[in-house]
Amino acid sequence: MISQKTILKHPLSVRIFHYLLILSFLPLAVTGVFLYFKPLSESAMNLTMQIHVVAGVVLTLDAIAFFLIGFNRVVLFLKRIFYFSINDIKWFAILGGYPQKILLRKKVVVPSMGKYNSGQKLFGICVLIGGTILIFTGWILWALPHLMPREAVSLLGTLHTFFAWVLTLFLLVHLFLGIYMFDDFKAMILHGKIPYDEAKEMAPLWVEKEIISISENSY
Amino acid sequence: MNVAAKTYQKGEIPGVIAIKASACKGCDACKRHCPTGAITGSFGATHSVDVDSCLSCGQCLINCPFGAPYETSDTVDEVIARLKDRNTTVVGIIAPAVRVAIGEDFGLPAGSLVTGKLYGSMKKAGFEILDNNFAADLTIMEEGTEFIVRARHAVFGEKSEHGAEIGPLPQFTSCCPAWVRLVETKYPTLIPNLSSAKSPQQMAGTVAKTYGTKVWGKSAEKIYTVGIMPCTAKKLEASRPEFNNAYEYNKKNGRALTDKPYPDIDTVLTTRDLSRLFKKLKINLAAEKDADGGSLLADYTGAGTIFGNTGGVMEAALRTAYAVLTGEELKPLEFKPVRGLKGVKSASVKLKDTKYNKEVTVNVAVIHNIAENIKPVIDEVLSGRSPYHFIEVMNCPGGCINGGGQPIYGNGSSWLGAIRPLFAWK
Amino acid sequence: MEKQSYQYIENPLHVTRREFITIGGIVAAFLALPAVWIKMVTSSNNNYILARTKGLYRDDEKASIRVSHANKSVARYYKEFGGEPLGHLSHELLHTKYINRTKGLS
Repeated sequence: MISQKTILKHPLSVRIFHYLLILSFLPLAVTGVFLYFKPLSESAMNLTMQIHVVAGVVLTLDAIAFFLIGFNRVVLFLKRIFYFSINDIKWFAILGGYPQKILLRKKVVVPSMGKYNSGQKLFGICVLIGGTILIFTGWILWALPHLMPREAVSLLGTLHTFFAWVLTLFLLVHLFLGIYMFDDFKAMILHGKIPYDEAKEMAPLWVEKEIISISENSY
Repeated sequence: MNVAAKTYQKGEIPGVIAIKASACKGCDACKRHCPTGAITGSFGATHSVDVDSCLSCGQCLINCPFGAPYETSDTVDEVIARLKDRNTTVVGIIAPAVRVAIGEDFGLPAGSLVTGKLYGSMKKAGFEILDNNFAADLTIMEEGTEFIVRARHAVFGEKSEHGAEIGPLPQFTSCCPAWVRLVETKYPTLIPNLSSAKSPQQMAGTVAKTYGTKVWGKSAEKIYTVGIMPCTAKKLEASRPEFNNAYEYNKKNGRALTDKPYPDIDTVLTTRDLSRLFKKLKINLAAEKDADGGSLLADYTGAGTIFGNTGGVMEAALRTAYAVLTGEELKPLEFKPVRGLKGVKSASVKLKDTKYNKEVTVNVAVIHNIAENIKPVIDEVLSGRSPYHFIEVMNCPGGCINGGGQPIYGNGSSWLGAIRPLFAWK
Repeated sequence: MEKQSYQYIENPLHVTRREFITIGGIVAAFLALPAVWIKMVTSSNNNYILARTKGLYRDDEKASIRVSHANKSVARYYKEFGGEPLGHLSHELLHTKYINRTKGLS
């Protein structure tokens, strides 16, 4: 029984935020890895750093803009990623059924999830905290390393490197799963909509508790 | 590596500071502390030091958040070997700024004055002590007298008693080796304005190996002089080949035992080096008992000790010059206008030269943190419009107490300027 | 093109006002912390320089003799050995000449 009903999962504002995030974070991650290993010539390293800085500024402006324009969505996001239940432990115990599904082509019963599953929540927390720290430390390391206390800058440098690696490694997972879940990929990259039935299977709690029909709402 | 070095004499350490490429993040923090723009390497690429521009002041070293710059000369083990050798009298020449900073390396709060504990630790390690503050007092006698001669020559046309050439005004102080090197490499026309008096360290070395032979009853060959300095540039200064006056003097007077020349200062340890030496010898300075200097060469006055602060040389010189010119002591002795962390401090002193019975006004200026402050003052002097007669210059922000050889104080930075971001690009 | 291509949306009232204020307040506080921290650390940046400076001035204040020309050992040095300031031996031992180092540079 396939219906054509869809849910608007990612409104335009979220999609624009995400486009800019792709545009800034991918170059940041790539140049960051280069800056860490320093394999290039002097002028190439300089160019790498310049790209890193420009992308960092774009990322910062993107984050600030989304904070100001879509503050209600930020709050919603925070509420979701920091809401845990016993289901999350069960979810992590079987890693959301993904290894079984991808490697063994076997379907296991997965605990009911909200809009984000437990893995996505963890990713969300890391992106939120790590991203904030990366932006904050990045600006200081760029603009203020001469006047901040030496040990503070050193600590910020270590934090920057640590969270950069965490997020870069998470990014690889996110890219893989993001494309693997093709409906979600289309929703985020193209039109924002996700099939109702798909959502009901992947995020039953979300559909059950938070989704309303437009007709109910507007008429 | 340093084949291209063109501004060093034979025998000199061609640049005391180098940058460890693996630790450098290319963040450009060091460039903002460098007085001469000697750090090359684009933003984002690993940096290196251009030894010909470098003054060896070490400000990059103490301010790099990632600990990339290091000293190319490390003689801690050599000094320990000399200390163990019973035939050698190892003379530690302690600069003023060391006594208020070395405690930090042993867990004491910043600014703890630990002269007694330092003496005690040094004696335990086997040093004889020549307090560089004694040499600072000596410097004031020489440099202050030189200033009086220059001033009287300029104002009253007085001729030199010794027939020596009298330098022009303004007279620059010459205690800071980084500043001296800046003049020698960038402003050679100002060389006559530099006081011809050697720095306290070099005076101390010469005195130790001439007059000191009487004090300690040892021949100069058996005396090993170790400058203990808050400064990396002092390592370069000590290696200047002309600084073997004690050897020349002893040879001329038939007191040299061999034909082997020796430098006035055999080696230099920074404050950090001395802490490492103490730690290697298991000496805990903080727990050490107070001791006194033990010889007349460790006697010093309040004027000698403030040499380590910006304005200190000027204040000490004024105290003595005032007394010599007027026959009275300066009152109060604290000369406040030259104290503090302002970039360029200036003051005028009205006094009566009793020899000529005339009122004169002496204009003095004090400059530190030359990365930020030296340019306008030098331009004035070069164009002949400088209102000053006597100018003290120290390279490091705050003076020697914040020198490149001092313990690295993690919870601070040398930046004295306005709190403003600088966006590195190229 | 159809006016609405989707039939469902998230309930916009899913966040209550109380939750909105609480979470928003926590976020604002967290963002203010770094600003306060930067202000704090940069203002105490030079305290160690001031402390060391003070240490040397204290050494000066507690000294019994505070002017170089009254240093008895210096006087003894000149009497027993050095002669007088700027004298012959001083020129030989305590003074120097400087070198124009720009000649090596082209």
